[in-house]
Amino acid sequence: MSVRDVLLQIAQVVTVLALSPLLQGAILQWEERIQRGRGPGIFQPYRDLRKLFLKQLVVPDTASWIFWCAPVVAFTCMMTVPILIPVLTDFPLPLSNMGDILGGGLILTLGSFAILLAGLDSGSAYGGIGASRSVMLGILAEPTLILVLVGITLLAKSMLPFVVNHLLVQQPSIYWSPAHLFLVFAFFVLLLVETDRLPIHSSTHIEVYMIEEARILEYSGPLLALLKWASMMKQFILFTIFCNVLTLPWGLSRHGTALGALAAAAGLFARMLVVALVIVFVETAQSRLRFFRYQEPLAASFMLAVLAIAANQLR
Amino acid sequence: MLLAHLSPLAASLFSLLAIGSLLLAFVMLGSRWLKDYLLAFTAQSWLIAILSGTVGYYGNYHELYLVAVLTALFRGLVLPYLIWRIIARLSVERELHVTLQPSSCLVLGALLVLFAFVVSNHLGNSLGLGGTVVVLALTVMLSMKLIGFLMLAVRQEAISQVLGLLVLENGIFLGSQILVPGMPLLIELVLLFDLLVIVVSFGVLVRYLVAHVGSTSSRELRRLVG
Repeated sequence: MSVRDVLLQIAQVVTVLALSPLLQGAILQWEERIQRGRGPGIFQPYRDLRKLFLKQLVVPDTASWIFWCAPVVAFTCMMTVPILIPVLTDFPLPLSNMGDILGGGLILTLGSFAILLAGLDSGSAYGGIGASRSVMLGILAEPTLILVLVGITLLAKSMLPFVVNHLLVQQPSIYWSPAHLFLVFAFFVLLLVETDRLPIHSSTHIEVYMIEEARILEYSGPLLALLKWASMMKQFILFTIFCNVLTLPWGLSRHGTALGALAAAAGLFARMLVVALVIVFVETAQSRLRFFRYQEPLAASFMLAVLAIAANQLR
Repeated sequence: MLLAHLSPLAASLFSLLAIGSLLLAFVMLGSRWLKDYLLAFTAQSWLIAILSGTVGYYGNYHELYLVAVLTALFRGLVLPYLIWRIIARLSVERELHVTLQPSSCLVLGALLVLFAFVVSNHLGNSLGLGGTVVVLALTVMLSMKLIGFLMLAVRQEAISQVLGLLVLENGIFLGSQILVPGMPLLIELVLLFDLLVIVVSFGVLVRYLVAHVGSTSSRELRRLVG
């Protein structure tokens, strides 16, 4: 374990911390632009976070210790996951052998679970409804997630994200095989679900339908800032997994030099912007559905994951 | 078997075409509009026509080119045109009473694919063909047949039922193209004309239903129900 590797590992976490609000800002601005509005500047999430950190904290009387713990737990979880996945380098760094893909998924889910408990904790009606809805979506999304991970494992014969990355870079025939393409589509639907972009509510988060936002309605001040930042980081991490492990595995730093790491961060962000463009387009072009049709995209992604596994038996 | 020893390019091409047609069967299962069914069936037939053309090319079966042209002509143009005429004459555009929601159908179909996967893997391993395109073709064939049966069971419009029957038949045809590519030309021709007869007789049945029952849904056929 050299000093350079430790620094690179720290740089991975810092990249996720620093760039996640920028990604959110870009997506929000593009969503407005594509609907012919002006939209906020792409640095708006940074300003929002600063404003929230400077504000006073108001805690409901009914809240218990869970209310205080949840934002910290969620934030810490989101800072742990970047250690496990390839963000900047395509070789494992110190401590990245703590867990495989499944371990990363577990920690991501743990963060959501903490926020869920916090939503139920204060006893408000909105928190309860948001928590129950997100649990319902989570229950339906979980089997697909497991199947996608099983599909990746069958594809690469390994559960480590680095191995999958190497395999896809080195063998274009596997990259273009139906098994891999179906996995990409199935994970894309999961990406929409996990970043709260199913076509069952408005793309701007100000409607009664809201799922993720309803859970944190009781929060204010610095704790709210932590939660918002954690959700932006979750989005950034999922985008990273989608880009670096599944869809666009190129352009990671091979030798781990400082310049290479910087270029890798810039390249990663550029690739994320491509994915964000696709997501913004899908979200705008798709018509909004009734709330109780939330299971249809999830059923489709489950089916795609099963097809990926069936297509995998070649070779 | 010839197709167990293919170049990787040909094998991946076959698997792409087979999996694409399976995906189109799922499009039919996940939608409730009759026009979508018809479009998906047409695209599926064209994919299968391309598949028999490529099997003919890589396996040196020259009569398969003729089969490919006939498949594209009959399954890809004539049958969809005949069914489209029936749909255009009806007032029904979609399934009204679903016994099973499209999303549940998709999940059930995925489970059927898993069943087909297990069965064909078992067969392939016992024949010593594990890991070749043959096993994949067997999976796709079995699952398209099961999906066709599922459509016949859960859909009630006469059009959906004839399309379910045609998907079932497409599955058998796809499997036969990859598994036994040297089938005599005469049998292929007989199959195509059989399909024509099926669609024409369904057209007659639909007319009868409209005239005597007033609807094309099999829900209304209750004379023999106690």
